[in-house]
Amino acid sequence: MSQSTDLLQGTLDLLILKTLALEPMHGWGVAQRIQQVSNDALQIGQGSLYPALYRLEYKGWIKSEWGTSENNRRAKYYRLTAAGRKNLEAELADWDRLSAAITLVLGRTAKVSS
Amino acid sequence: MTEFLTRLRFLLFRKRRDELDEELRFHLEQSIAAKMAAGLTAEEARRQALIDFGGVERAREQCEQERPGLWIDTLLRDVRYSLRILRKSPWFTATVVVTLALGIGANTAIFSVVNAVLLKSLTYPDADRLVNFLRPSAVIANNLHDILEFHFFERQTKIFKEVVAFDAAGPGYNLTGGHPEQVHGIHVTEGYFRVYGAPVLLGRTFTPQEDSPNGGKVVVLSYGLWQRRFGGNPAIVGKSLSLGNEAYTVVGVIGKDFVADPQADLWLPFQFDPVSTDMNHFFYTTGVLQPGVTVAQANAELLAASPGFHREYPILVPQRFTVGPLRDSIIGDARNSLLMMLGAVGLVLLICCANVANLLLVRASVRKREFAVRSALGASRARIVRQLLTESVLLSIAGGILGMALGFAGVRALLALSPVELPRVGEGGSAVVLDWRVLVFTLAVSLLTGILFGLFPAFSALRSDLNFALRESGNRSGIGIHQEKTRSLLVISEVSLALVLLIGSALLIRTFIVLHGVDPGFDPRNVLTMEMSLNGPRYQTAAGVSELLKNGRDRLNALPGVEVAAAGYWLPVDIEDAAAFQIAGRPVRRDCCGSKWMSISPGYLSVFRISVLRGRDFNENDNATAPPVVLINEAFARKFFPNKDPLGQQIRHWGRDETIIGIAPDIHDNGLDMPADALIIAPIAQVSDSYTAATSNIQPLIWLVRTHGDPHQYLSAITEQLRIASDGFPVAHVRTMDEVMGYSTARQSFNMLLLSIFGAVALALAAVGIYGLMAYSVAQRTQEMGIRMALGADRSVIRKFVVWQGMRLVLVGVAAGVVASFGLTRLLSNFLFGVKPWDPAVFTSAPLILVAIALFAVWLPAARASKIDPMQALRME
Repeated sequence: MSQSTDLLQGTLDLLILKTLALEPMHGWGVAQRIQQVSNDALQIGQGSLYPALYRLEYKGWIKSEWGTSENNRRAKYYRLTAAGRKNLEAELADWDRLSAAITLVLGRTAKVSS
Repeated sequence: MTEFLTRLRFLLFRKRRDELDEELRFHLEQSIAAKMAAGLTAEEARRQALIDFGGVERAREQCEQERPGLWIDTLLRDVRYSLRILRKSPWFTATVVVTLALGIGANTAIFSVVNAVLLKSLTYPDADRLVNFLRPSAVIANNLHDILEFHFFERQTKIFKEVVAFDAAGPGYNLTGGHPEQVHGIHVTEGYFRVYGAPVLLGRTFTPQEDSPNGGKVVVLSYGLWQRRFGGNPAIVGKSLSLGNEAYTVVGVIGKDFVADPQADLWLPFQFDPVSTDMNHFFYTTGVLQPGVTVAQANAELLAASPGFHREYPILVPQRFTVGPLRDSIIGDARNSLLMMLGAVGLVLLICCANVANLLLVRASVRKREFAVRSALGASRARIVRQLLTESVLLSIAGGILGMALGFAGVRALLALSPVELPRVGEGGSAVVLDWRVLVFTLAVSLLTGILFGLFPAFSALRSDLNFALRESGNRSGIGIHQEKTRSLLVISEVSLALVLLIGSALLIRTFIVLHGVDPGFDPRNVLTMEMSLNGPRYQTAAGVSELLKNGRDRLNALPGVEVAAAGYWLPVDIEDAAAFQIAGRPVRRDCCGSKWMSISPGYLSVFRISVLRGRDFNENDNATAPPVVLINEAFARKFFPNKDPLGQQIRHWGRDETIIGIAPDIHDNGLDMPADALIIAPIAQVSDSYTAATSNIQPLIWLVRTHGDPHQYLSAITEQLRIASDGFPVAHVRTMDEVMGYSTARQSFNMLLLSIFGAVALALAAVGIYGLMAYSVAQRTQEMGIRMALGADRSVIRKFVVWQGMRLVLVGVAAGVVASFGLTRLLSNFLFGVKPWDPAVFTSAPLILVAIALFAVWLPAARASKIDPMQALRME
């Protein structure tokens, strides 16, 4: 039904961090948000999502705690930590630099993303 | 930093596995709900959600892998598994561990000696700033200096923080009173203890006042002497003891573990007169460089300051003064021997690795099924390889521990038994210890070894065809061509390495034999040597000494059983004294002349059955009132009188003309492997008084007695007569000349012994390796041989076939080994004497020996192969 685009690990981490920067959410919420904001272009499956979330948690960039979801189910919510927030800024700056460089090499004009 | 702490926290507190399951369950439900909200039925929503969801196991695994510290878990699991596997086949494990213990243990043994001699820093304070004063001049080549030069060095305060002097050797001191005993003692300047970091146990060392003229008779004792002779008396400081019948006060005792060269039982102050011009007293000098001054700078400064010194003392022959690091002179040429040993022992280890790799390959082929099953259950290839490597490393660590214990014990035993003197190893090898360097070395060698030979079965496991292996018959057939090739290659390399070691040790053995065949130029049999210290006022003049000689010789010659007795200051194999002289009747040259020199009593030459070639030997008439005479040797005649008859010519020495009255044959005065030096021999009775005094203060007199038959039976009679003649002096260091000769070749025999042991071990290992390969190969191909025999092949044909299979490998290995040896034996040329590095006898006999032993190793499995019952073989599964 849907094709999951093969994203680099680091890029996925960046997406998750940015998403969590807005507000704490559970895994499903993160995947949905990314899908919506990218106009269905990026669909993250559980096979990539949860390992990435665990990885970020082991690094100490996000924190998890059990809570209740919108429909009264038990779900694990993730939030950004102070370290995660700092790293997010750094990663965003790196990303900007990187994509600008790639755009130059490929000779494409930068498309403004919504 | 916080990241590290977080990781640490998760390392210690694991997440519960069901947390992830619950999360995934929630995710799935949300997915279903979203699809239902988009309009699908409950069933359809669930179906599609499940498809979207994908396999959960992979996610679980990946989350698990993200966990920090996972590798420790995996490692522990591998280790536990490996231990289980190894325990299951105890004989195999034991064989491998013992083989490795041999290889690693030998390496540890040699390395611990290398550590003690070459690597450990000198224990003296500021060790890297300590330098020796050298005398590289060609005329008199030794590193001794006299008092004028010493004061000159002291004045170079820009370069040297401190300069100290100490005797090269002692004459021996007679502790009289009670039972007389001769002990080692040397003179030192008061800074010696400070510079060499001697620990003071009791009292103190000399003050500057005591180390000046009229400083009194004071002495510092060593720990050993204090314990041995004075029972460790804690109140010894201030007491007096009797040296050469004079009273000396003990001012201090030095603590244990003070290792210095030369070793001494007691120390006396030089008490130098700052304005003395006595040039007959020679000693060693050591300096401490000022901080920031390098050896090169020091040498440059000395070169600049030397002309000033020589202007002040024009009578001295100009010298180039240089300094060199103290370390170098202590280690000397032990470095070469030790490095050679290290290389040899490395080769032995490689052979061990090859053997073990072979053994492991055999096991790997047997375990094919195990690998196939594990692979089918999901273990990645990397995982299997990792586990095999873990096994290998465990084996080699076990071998390493065992080997370290064996090697260390072995080397201590060897050093205690062997007479060789390696510098810095301490009494009987006591300074060779298991310190951190040796432990790290052994650990590193074990790890590398384990990984090295572990790669072989690991790669073999990677190559295994899993489907094939899972079938019933997978155990027996199909070793795999590749594995056969690998094992053959291993055997070939084993054989060639063993040959290299064999050739090396054969060369050293030949050198040893040649050395022993060298005619030393004299007859050392049945000659007894012993030292007597002439320390004391009576022997400060030539007259005093020659009276002692006359009394002693008369008494000894009167003893039944004594053929002839004499005395001198040097033994023929080790003459270290030198003299500067001019040839009379020739123009004076500043850069000439110097030669070795020694003084003897009449009868010295007869003791060693040396016949004067031309002219005559000394006799009793050559005394202080007679005209001075000397003997020279052939080397001297060749060097200084190439075209003229030296007999009757004169040399100018000590301000007088000395006549050459005889020419003696060359003797090997510098060890059997060096050519003879030019030598002047003078009668003791005619030596100048000042030189006699200096000699009596530096060196012991050596009594030499040739007896009828074994000298030991006359020992007590001889020492008794000498005691009477010298008015109570004891003798020390009683050795037969044969024993002395043994010491001079001790270094070579030690090298030879060790290398031969390595060669023998290598040979045994290679033989075992060949046998193992052949036996296994025969066992594998039993069915094939059965078929051959059923088809009519003769038993002897089978035997020949197996033998040829094996010998083919051996011959290739021998060829490779010979080629390698041509290249490598060049490295041995320092140790060879009278034998070329490509000596044809060795290069033919060593391969023959190896081939013979290999033939024997191959014969056994071949014989077994020929006994196969074809019917049995065909039925074998």
